[in-house]
Amino acid sequence: MQHSDNIRVAPSEGEAATKAGARYLYCVADSDEKVRLGPIGIDGHEVYTVPYNDVCAVVHDCPAEPYQSADAEVVKGWVIAHQRVVDEAWDKWGTVLPLGFDTIVRGQEGSDPQQNLENWLAADYQTLKRKMEAVRGKAEYGVQVFWEPQVIARSIAGMSREISSLEEEIKSKPRGLAYMYRQKLENALKREMEAKADQCFRDFYSRIKKHVCDLRVEKTKRPDDDRQMIMNLSCLVDGDKSTHLGEELESIDKMEGFSVRFTGPWPPYSFVSA
Amino acid sequence: MEPTRDSHTTLVDLLDRVLDKGLVLYADIIVSVAGIPLIGVNLRAALAGMETMLRYGVMQEWDEHIRAWERDNRGERELPLASGEQVVLKMLGSYLYSQGIYTSWRQGYFYVTDRRIALYLLTFGEVLFQAPLQSIKGLATGRENHFSGDEREHLCLLLEGGDVAWLHALDTPQLREAIERGMAALGLTWKEMPAFAMHDEKATKLLTDGEEIACAGKMWHLMALPSPGGVTTDTWQSGHLYITNRRLCWWYDFEGRLALEIPLERVAASTVERRDLGPALRRKRVFDVIYETEAGKRVASFSGDRLAEWEEALNRIIARQGTPLREETDTCPQCGEAAPVKELLRSGCDKCGWVSPRVKQDMLRATPAR
Repeated sequence: MQHSDNIRVAPSEGEAATKAGARYLYCVADSDEKVRLGPIGIDGHEVYTVPYNDVCAVVHDCPAEPYQSADAEVVKGWVIAHQRVVDEAWDKWGTVLPLGFDTIVRGQEGSDPQQNLENWLAADYQTLKRKMEAVRGKAEYGVQVFWEPQVIARSIAGMSREISSLEEEIKSKPRGLAYMYRQKLENALKREMEAKADQCFRDFYSRIKKHVCDLRVEKTKRPDDDRQMIMNLSCLVDGDKSTHLGEELESIDKMEGFSVRFTGPWPPYSFVSA
Repeated sequence: MEPTRDSHTTLVDLLDRVLDKGLVLYADIIVSVAGIPLIGVNLRAALAGMETMLRYGVMQEWDEHIRAWERDNRGERELPLASGEQVVLKMLGSYLYSQGIYTSWRQGYFYVTDRRIALYLLTFGEVLFQAPLQSIKGLATGRENHFSGDEREHLCLLLEGGDVAWLHALDTPQLREAIERGMAALGLTWKEMPAFAMHDEKATKLLTDGEEIACAGKMWHLMALPSPGGVTTDTWQSGHLYITNRRLCWWYDFEGRLALEIPLERVAASTVERRDLGPALRRKRVFDVIYETEAGKRVASFSGDRLAEWEEALNRIIARQGTPLREETDTCPQCGEAAPVKELLRSGCDKCGWVSPRVKQDMLRATPAR
């Protein structure tokens, strides 16, 4: 932002206003305590709670500007610090509604950020309580299922009659035709792979669903190695059920060509937005 | 299978959650840039792989480079300040530039410093308008329909010497507040003016000390103007009528001068009646102000909107000034005796028995033929 249409450059007042003109929000916790958590925040900021009724916002004072940097290391540091504070609150009070990075409550004309924050807590209190009940005693886990395409393709080729006959035919064809057959083969293989991925997804989904309270299907990503991610889930799991989920995932992980990544427990980031 | 949260191997999972998810607050209380939550743009770019880095990173550098080049070459500079001068507010805005028949809103950045207000064109380093805070004698906030269709708020400054500056800013009340605060800090006082009194520069130019405008507006006036051949003809001309606490005056727009000036104590009567003003303008309302001059009575005729309100306002102002409208008097055309006009016209002269031709006609018509 090179130009601001409305730059206040009052040296004394203006600076003070931007210095502590906003509150960086980490999470809303299930506690009415008004406490200081110490300098554990982003860039060592003093973190404290702002209570309303029986909930409290966990914040630090900051200028009314977003944290931004082009340096990945700096951003990583901030995100880890953010998570550290949320974890601290989670440990301390058991139930938290985490916020995404860079959620900063600003002051408005005629009201300070603290007031804005309290107004928000008051206005959204019912919703916050409802969300808190929904995640009480639960934690979020990441479940990602990968397969190795070569291994899967081999097993499909072995099972699919269409593909094995195509493979046979290619051997007896001249080069030009062989190329065309190869294309045909690849397309057929691709179709089979897609159908297989679909079937696996449905199978795994129903197996996992039994052990979780709620789940979100996330976009699949491309891992660094030559595996493919066929499933990416965020699961909300009751405290003592994670071992059941772990056992189920283990059986998937043991299947040939499949592997599972099981991360957590995370604060319920994926189950507080709706 | 045990879940893992090892900080090295699960960083990506953490970022996925912390950057893209979490509780959502309504946008009007959180900091964002142009309504876009930052996370999506900047931080994602910083964390993206090499390919994306190139796309964003290189662009950013290129952008910076272009901007820097532009800055240097266009010489965009801040307003030059006197030593010790402090800028209190900088805000995009415009002021009404008027030179002869040319008027336009000129845009720039308003700077309110501890001593002055200036409108500065950054690109050309040109001061478009400036006034020391000491020279501000009055302030008014007015609303006017802007050509864009919105009602726009303006700030008018009445300056020493009677000039009026019309200003508009991104946040006009904030601009005004900054000026007022600056003036208060200097121990200056100012007068709150009614906005219409600042309607235009001419209005304040014609005011004498202690004079205040009560009514102002567009008004046509029947003017005696010389026409070719040495004949003077009455023609309707456009202008602005002002009623102040002292005078009634009409500003002739075309020549940019005060063409009519009637002290209130000279106003004898006023009426609103319907007359034909021309072939196409039949039965139009006309506001007549009858006033006394050394050479006898004159009538000034005006045509415009809401004439009844104008007449009422004129009467009210005159009543307030303690010189109620005297009944218009004239002299009997036969014996020369002074009598109220209305009486003369209605029942004739009670000294010599003269009656107006119209009354005679009416009487004739009323008398049955013998």
